[in-house]
Amino acid sequence: MTTTTTAPPNATVFGAEVPQPPQHGKPGGIMRHLNFGTGLLAGIVGAVAAGWITAALTPTSASNATFAPTEPEYVYLAVLIGWVVGFMLGMGAFVGPVRWLLGRDITHADAEYMAGKDLGFRRYFKFTTDHKVVGIQYLVVTLVIFALGGTLAMLIRTELGVTWAELFAPTFYNTIIGTHGIAMVIAMIVVISGPVGNFIVPMMIGARDMAFPRLNALSLWLLVAAVVCLISSMFVGGIQDGWSVYYPLAAQAPPGMLGYQMTIIVFAISTGVASVNLMTTILTMRAKGMTWSRTPILVFGVFAASLMGLYAFPFYQYSQILALTDRIWDTVFFNPVQGGSVWLYENLFWLLGHPEVYVILIPSMALALEIMPVFLRRPLFSFNFAVAGIIGVVALSGLVWAHHMYMTGWAPAVNYPFMLSTEMISIPVGFLVLVAIGTFWRSTVWTRLPLMAIYAVVFNKMIGGVTGIYLSDVPADQYFHGSMFVVAHFHYMLMGAGLFGAMGGIAFYFPKMTGRILDERWGSIGLWTAFVGFQITFGSMFVAGLQGQPRRVLQFDDMFNISNWLSTIGAYVIGLGMLIFLAAIIFSWRSGDVASSNPWGSKSLEWQTATPVPLENFEVLPVVTERPYNYGVPDPYEQRMKSLDGDLGPDTRLESDDKAGVP
Amino acid sequence: MSSPTTSPALFATTGEPVDRVGRRNRLALWLMIIADAAGTVALLISYTYLWSLNVNGGWAPPGARLTAVETNNDIPKKVEATFAAEWPFWLVLLIVVLSTVAMWWAYRAGRSGYQTALVTGSVLSALLMVAALVVQWVQISTFPFGPSDGAYASAVIVLCASNLAHMLLVLFLLIGMVNRSRKGLVSQRVSYQAQATAYYMTWVSVAVLLGALVTTFFVTSPNTDPAVFGSFKQSSSSTVSPSPSTSPSPSGSASPSASPSKKKASPSATKKASPSAS
Repeated sequence: MTTTTTAPPNATVFGAEVPQPPQHGKPGGIMRHLNFGTGLLAGIVGAVAAGWITAALTPTSASNATFAPTEPEYVYLAVLIGWVVGFMLGMGAFVGPVRWLLGRDITHADAEYMAGKDLGFRRYFKFTTDHKVVGIQYLVVTLVIFALGGTLAMLIRTELGVTWAELFAPTFYNTIIGTHGIAMVIAMIVVISGPVGNFIVPMMIGARDMAFPRLNALSLWLLVAAVVCLISSMFVGGIQDGWSVYYPLAAQAPPGMLGYQMTIIVFAISTGVASVNLMTTILTMRAKGMTWSRTPILVFGVFAASLMGLYAFPFYQYSQILALTDRIWDTVFFNPVQGGSVWLYENLFWLLGHPEVYVILIPSMALALEIMPVFLRRPLFSFNFAVAGIIGVVALSGLVWAHHMYMTGWAPAVNYPFMLSTEMISIPVGFLVLVAIGTFWRSTVWTRLPLMAIYAVVFNKMIGGVTGIYLSDVPADQYFHGSMFVVAHFHYMLMGAGLFGAMGGIAFYFPKMTGRILDERWGSIGLWTAFVGFQITFGSMFVAGLQGQPRRVLQFDDMFNISNWLSTIGAYVIGLGMLIFLAAIIFSWRSGDVASSNPWGSKSLEWQTATPVPLENFEVLPVVTERPYNYGVPDPYEQRMKSLDGDLGPDTRLESDDKAGVP
Repeated sequence: MSSPTTSPALFATTGEPVDRVGRRNRLALWLMIIADAAGTVALLISYTYLWSLNVNGGWAPPGARLTAVETNNDIPKKVEATFAAEWPFWLVLLIVVLSTVAMWWAYRAGRSGYQTALVTGSVLSALLMVAALVVQWVQISTFPFGPSDGAYASAVIVLCASNLAHMLLVLFLLIGMVNRSRKGLVSQRVSYQAQATAYYMTWVSVAVLLGALVTTFFVTSPNTDPAVFGSFKQSSSSTVSPSPSTSPSPSGSASPSASPSKKKASPSATKKASPSAS
């Protein structure tokens, strides 16, 4: 083995002569031979082999504590584990740890190869470590998950809209409900922190890459492995109990439940790895001079989401690990007959379940606040207020989970403290909305596609936030709980604010990510079509909920027909709008107008580098000397604070407007 | 293969000072520990929650012995089991702590330039960790109960399984440490990986300690009068005890309001509301 070791020549890394560890073979080593194809192959082989071995070893007569046959469960679980391990093995995810174990550290040449240097389009199908490639991969994977979840949403609305016939069997309807729910939750969690967090944030803080490039690739490909587990569940009985899969329903569910559990376990690892990576990058790799007050608000948002994911996701993950052991190993954590408790499951689940809302929402709101100053050509209205809002949300997000359990009978005495904490969290969230409105106030608007999406975000966020206050109220929740009102509310929050924010982010960063401008005409048509459809769909759903229509129910009284017809029509309009927006993305990516390096005239760092972005991001690492939103205009809030009379005065504003010329 | 003097002071792939990379790794490790600790807390919450509730008398009431149910030709048979002995939890902890101390000693010796001590300490630490793994495995395999023998049994076994998983991860790190320190890749100048390993082992010691504490001091449930299915006691004296005939059936036939209106008139469709999960 040592005969293949070559003498380590020094490498020139950014002008410095850096000693290299002993080289083994060509740069990249075995990574040169591994890609998505080998990952798929190894995953399939691993799944088949694990399933076959397990089937051979498991007696066909084996049964669990409830006398249900266990062989299919064991085999399916083995297939899932075989798939995940095999896929990651085939992708090359274990090469780094094994090389570390063997003491074969990678060289600069290895690192450049793994970053995709000179690999062209192939780098998108490998375990590539360059954060920009990972960002694009995240974008594509997220769009695929959205396509899956969106298609299922269309099926749901079709079933509910066709009130005169039954299209799906109830079990299949439940399956599409559950799969749609968890697919969309996963997609919404990663839609900003994935593509934007990976592609943009390192450049935004003036770094050359993420702190741990291989962990970056690991988080992405674990997500891919998890999504396959999710899809596979649909072929073995599906997820029939909603995305929350409460006990005891989950205990009675078909083997598809294992697909859900495996998806969450793997996805939580992916999220944890990504959170650590993003947080370390932000904390340790900001450019010289980038103090916290000079750090863009989007960075705060991504950091906050990562922090919430870091402490909250393990609870969700462990809820599924315990559920898995209950199912496979006959433990009784959630089986009350033998001393378990379904409330334990609900607590563990919602300890993530509610922070997850803010994991989705905060990056979206931060992205909105990031975009607004660029198109309004003025500083963010009270940067400090926005940061305080984000900190407040993070601080309170872990103290509100039980408002999902008001009606479950768990500890009624704590309902009111949780009601208080839930209503309190609307204050810091309100800070963010107020900063948005304050920034809009009396500004000169340069209306482009990204800003249009922000209009939608602010509108939807306000409706979602106000209706959330009703649901946080215990007496009101007694009526609304489990109704379509809840469904409408969280769609306004997650889709209305989260997804439309992501659309704005994609439009905004499209030039930097692809080198082309997203077609504004078709993008706008898609955006507003989806927005109108959204209002029809979920506005009608509010009405149905107020009338008393329960959620997750296939059949309902005729009195709800009109609301459901409207909702279904609206859903198809959303689908049309999304397809138009997707078409705008695809066609613009292929043949859109070539973008300059800074088409929006933004002042933040990611726009100051060339497009397409070079591998090392910056030729020379930048030094930050001013706040990110100093568009030649003093911050009006700060100016007001400095002014003892507290009067901005019309002259100040006019001067501001003069300086805020639209490029 | 390489002497300490040839170890790069600059990180090979990025050209950054190794110290800076070390600080970054240390921060990431702390963040990883936060996530890991959250998972461990989830397990401890599960244990103490079920211990405090003693749902259906299924934990193990004070003074009683665990009752397990085994099946023999599908015929339920009562067997008796007991709580786990406490000393193995502490023995595992002791060995893990000794292993951690050995790793800290190795790290400090290595940082002071004693490469041989670094290698020796890493080897010693790894051997101790193997011993801890063996003891942990023996403990799990000799518990006087199975995972389905009540909430206590489930919680204890999964806590021990969590210990086992932590120890396997530590063993992976220690094997790497042995190999890398032997090759001079971990040395006086590049010691952050040894430090990170020692930090992580310290956290694992804390996790094992927490597990030992709950399995020692939270054994018999304080809830001596738990709710038992079929005869729930309710706080109001006026409440009538439920009889089987008033219990809502899965089909919802017990309550008129539970029967949803049909939206279709198809005679073949026997329609019921699909179950709501929350």
